[in-house]
Amino acid sequence: MEIIETDIAIVGAGGAGLRAAIEVAEADPNVKVLLISKVYPMRSHTCAAEGGAAGVVKDNDTLEYHFNDTVGGGDWLTDQDAVEYFVNEIPKELTRMEHWGCPWSREDSGKVAVRPFGGMKIMRTWFAADKTGFHMLHTLFQTSLKYPTIERLDEYYVTDLMVEDGRVHGVVVMEIRTGKMTLVRAKAVIICSGGAGKIFPFTTNGAIKTGDGMAMAYRAGVPLKDMEFVQYHPTGLPATGILLTEGCRGEGGILVNKDGYRFLQDYGLGPPDPWPRLKAMELGPRDRLSQAFWHEQKKGRTIPSPWGDVMHLDMRHLGEKKINERLPLIRELSRLYAGADPVHELVPVRPVVHYMMGGIHTNIDGATPLAGLYAAGECACVSINGANRLGSNSLGELLVFGARAARNAVDYVKSTEYLNKVKTIQAQAEDAQSRVKALFQSQGTESVPGLRKELNATMEEGCGIYRTEAEIKATCDKVTEIRARYKDVKLEDTSTVFNTDLLQTLELGCMIEVAQTVAVSAFERKESRGAHQRLDYEKRDDVNYLKHSMAHFDPDGDPRIDYLDVVITKSQPAERIYGAGAEGQVV
Amino acid sequence: MNRKPYRRELSKTSWFMTHQRYKSYMLHEISSLFVAIYAFILIIGLFRLGEGPEAWEGWLGFVASPIGVILHVLIFVFSIIHTMAWFKAVPQAMRIQRGEEIVPGKLIVGAHYGVLAAVSLFVLILAGVA
Amino acid sequence: METRDVTIEVLRYRPEQDSEPFFQSYTVPCEEHWVVLDALNYIKDELDRTLSYRWSCHMFVCGSCGMVINGEPMLSCKKFVRDFGDKIRVEPLSNFPIERDLVIVQDDFMEKLSSVKPYLIPKEERSIESGEYLQTPAQLKTYKQYTMCINCLCCYAACPQYGLDDKFIGPAALALAHRYNADSRDVGRSAREDVVASHEGIWECSFVGACSLVCPKDVEPAGAIQQTKFTSAIDYITGMVSGGGKK
Repeated sequence: MEIIETDIAIVGAGGAGLRAAIEVAEADPNVKVLLISKVYPMRSHTCAAEGGAAGVVKDNDTLEYHFNDTVGGGDWLTDQDAVEYFVNEIPKELTRMEHWGCPWSREDSGKVAVRPFGGMKIMRTWFAADKTGFHMLHTLFQTSLKYPTIERLDEYYVTDLMVEDGRVHGVVVMEIRTGKMTLVRAKAVIICSGGAGKIFPFTTNGAIKTGDGMAMAYRAGVPLKDMEFVQYHPTGLPATGILLTEGCRGEGGILVNKDGYRFLQDYGLGPPDPWPRLKAMELGPRDRLSQAFWHEQKKGRTIPSPWGDVMHLDMRHLGEKKINERLPLIRELSRLYAGADPVHELVPVRPVVHYMMGGIHTNIDGATPLAGLYAAGECACVSINGANRLGSNSLGELLVFGARAARNAVDYVKSTEYLNKVKTIQAQAEDAQSRVKALFQSQGTESVPGLRKELNATMEEGCGIYRTEAEIKATCDKVTEIRARYKDVKLEDTSTVFNTDLLQTLELGCMIEVAQTVAVSAFERKESRGAHQRLDYEKRDDVNYLKHSMAHFDPDGDPRIDYLDVVITKSQPAERIYGAGAEGQVV
Repeated sequence: MNRKPYRRELSKTSWFMTHQRYKSYMLHEISSLFVAIYAFILIIGLFRLGEGPEAWEGWLGFVASPIGVILHVLIFVFSIIHTMAWFKAVPQAMRIQRGEEIVPGKLIVGAHYGVLAAVSLFVLILAGVA
Repeated sequence: METRDVTIEVLRYRPEQDSEPFFQSYTVPCEEHWVVLDALNYIKDELDRTLSYRWSCHMFVCGSCGMVINGEPMLSCKKFVRDFGDKIRVEPLSNFPIERDLVIVQDDFMEKLSSVKPYLIPKEERSIESGEYLQTPAQLKTYKQYTMCINCLCCYAACPQYGLDDKFIGPAALALAHRYNADSRDVGRSAREDVVASHEGIWECSFVGACSLVCPKDVEPAGAIQQTKFTSAIDYITGMVSGGGKK
C-alpha cells in the first residue's frame, strides 16, 4: 500500500479543520499538515449555519455574562474551565475572522453589528446576514489557500485510525474517485469531522453528517462523551427539516400555536412583553422551546400538517426591509420549501434534530486520552455545551478549539518522532483495506437504505425530545439488532470509481455505532437535564448525574458507560432562570 | 488506473446552436457587423460629397435604390437588436451604488432609452421630419 | 401522501464498463413537495444503488448538487419536480469531464480558484488587539453580492467560452477575485492582476452573460468580469500615461 508521510493529519475540512490547518501553518511552517475530507472543503456542513457566532465585544457586555449564560444554558454539565477559556478567546477569534475578510454585518459606524440570540443575556452574536456559517467557511477555506504548507486530500474518505503502543500513527484513507487506499503516516491526527444528525430521520443536517470521525475514534478506544444530549432546534421547516435560524426570533419573530397564542409564556418563559427581550419567551434556550412545543402538541394546540404537527413562526411585523436585509435566505427558503412568504404569512415550523452536544472526549487542550489524537468542533466534546448548547456558540467553538487543538498538536509533533513501527502500521492498514474489500465479496442480504431507515425510525421513537425507560430500551435493543444485521449488509455497486453505495455503507456503519452510544447513554442517565428529558425521572439529579457520560467501545457488545466528573470552578449548579427573573436585555 | 473521465467536446463551429441563449448572443454579435456596414456607407457618402455633386448624386441614388433600401431596413432591424442587447447589459457592466443602495438596473436601462429617444427626436427635428 | 409518476432520464456513465454515456430511465413516484434531488435520492434508495451523484445540504448553500436539468445548469435541491412535466432529463454539468454518472471532475476549477489569490491582502497586518477594520454598511454592500458564490459550477457549465477553451479562468473564480478587489480592506488588486487581467482571465470573456443567468445565488459573475475589465483598462491607460510600462 502506498504511504504518504505528514506531521499532522486533519480529518474533516469544515470550520474546525480549516481553522486548525491555518493554525498549524501559522505556528510553524516546517510542520507538515494534510487536510483530508470526504467532500471539498466548501461543501462541509459549517456552510449551513445561519444565525451567527457569539463573542463579547460591546461595552455593555462582559466575559462573565457570556460565561454564565453558557454554563446555565448547558444546565451545569459544561466544564467551566473550558467555558472560561472559550468566552475569553472567542472575541479574538472573531476579530481574526474579520481580518481574514469575513463579511460581518456592520453598524453604521463601521463596527461589527451584533444580534440577540436564545439564552444570551446581552446582544453579542456577530453575524453575516443569515449565512454566517457559509461566510465563515468560505473565508477560512479561501484564507487557507494562502499557506503553501497546507496540503489537501479532497474527496478522500478516512476509514481507520492507526494506533500502536497507545499512540496514534496516522490514518487510512480511500480516494473516492478511484477506491484506492493509502496509508497516511502522521505523528498527530486532529479529528474535525462534524456531528451525526443523520442518525435521525428529521434533521437540519446535510447528507455528510454521519458521525464518521466520532465512530472512528470510538472504535479506536476513545470514549464518546455525553452522547445522549441531542439538540432539537425549535424551528425547522416541515417535510425537509431545513433550518430557520434563531436569528428569526432574535430579530423579533414570535412563535404561536393554533390559536395565535404565544404559548411559551405558559412554560416559564414569560411574560411576553416587553419584546424582544433576551433570555425570555422566543429567546429562551432551544431545549426549553422544543420541550414547550412537545407539551403544546400533547394538549392538541399545535397545527396538523402532512409532515407532523407544527407551530407558526410569525415575522410579519418585522417588515420587508428588515427581512430582506437581515434574513434574506430565510425568506427564500420559506417561500420555496414551505410556500410561505414571512413578509406576509405565518411560516410553519417544528422542532428538528440539529446538533450533538456530545462527541469525542477531549480535555481543554482538545486532546483525547489517546496520545497524538485531538478533536475539535461538533465531533468533539470539550465540553462547553453541556446538556444544551446555546445558539451561536458552536461557530465560536470550532474556531477556538480548532486553533487550540492545532497548537497542542504542533507542540506534540515537535517533541515526537515516528515510531519505528512501519511494518506493524502497514499491517494494520492492510487489515483496514481487507475490511473494505470484504464488503465487495459479501453475499449479504441486508440493504443499506433499509437499515438506515430502521435506524432513523427507532432513534426518533426512543431518543426524541422526551424519553421514557421503555422507549429507550426498545431503541437500544433495536440498534443492537441493526448492528448485528449490518454485518450481513449487501453492497450492490461493485465499481471502484466514485462508488457512493460503498460510501453510504461505510457511513451507515459509523451511524450505527454512534446511535448506539446515544441510546445507551440516554438509557443510563436516569434524570432530566437540558436536552435529555426523561418522563420517568423528571428532575435534575446533581447528586448522581452531575457527571459526563462516557461511552466505551466494545466490538461485540453494547457500549460500556462510566462517568467523569464535571469541572466546576466558579458557578455552582442552580436553577436555570428564563423569562421574568432572567433580567435579559430589552432590545 | 480505473478512472476514465469522459470528455464532451463543444463544437467550435456549431456550439451556438445548442441553446437559445447562445443563438441570441450570436445574433447580437452579428448585429455589430451591420452597424459597421452602416458606418462604412456613411463614410463613403462623406467622400462622395467631397468629390462633387455628381458623385454625391450617385451615392444618393444607391441609397434610394431597392438594394439600398433593403440594406437599410436590415441595418435598422439589426441596429435595434444591437441597441437593445447592449442597453440590457449596461447595468451589469456599470453598477451604480448610492450609499447602501444599488441603483436598480431598470432605471439605468430606462435612462438609456430616454436619452436615445431624446437624441432621435432631436435628429428628426433637425432633419425636418418631425 | 399523493404521488405522481415522473420519468427521470439520467445520463449514466460507468467508466469501467461504458465507452460513452447513455440515458437510463427511471419511473419515480414523486411527492408534491419534492425537488429533483429527492427524486434522485428515491432512485438511489429504492431503484438503483449504482447511481452516483454529489449532494449534501439540501438547502442550496453547499453547492454540491449542480446538474444540467432539462438543458439548464441548476441545483437539483432548488428545482421542484412539480415545475416539470412527466419527464425530466438530468445530466452532469456540461463543460467538465464526467467522472461517473452525474459526478464531474472539478480539479481544474479548484486550481483556478486558488490562482486568483482569493483572500484578503491588507495594506499592513493588523493586530488582534486593535480590533476590527471599520467598514460601513455601504462599503460592505459594494462587494457583498460577490461573496455569495457557493462554487456550484453552474456558471462554468453555462459558459461557452470555458467549454471552448478550458484555459479560461472562468466566471466564479473571476467574480471571487473581484469580491476581494472591491473590499475596502483589501489592496491586493495588483497582486491578482497577473492572473485576472491575463488573456486567460477577464479578456477571454466575450460577455455571453449565461453565467449570470444560471447563477442560483444571483452572484452576477458577468457583471463582476465587465467591471474588472473596466478598472483594468483604466489601469492600463494610466500606466501608459505615467510611463510605468505596466502590462
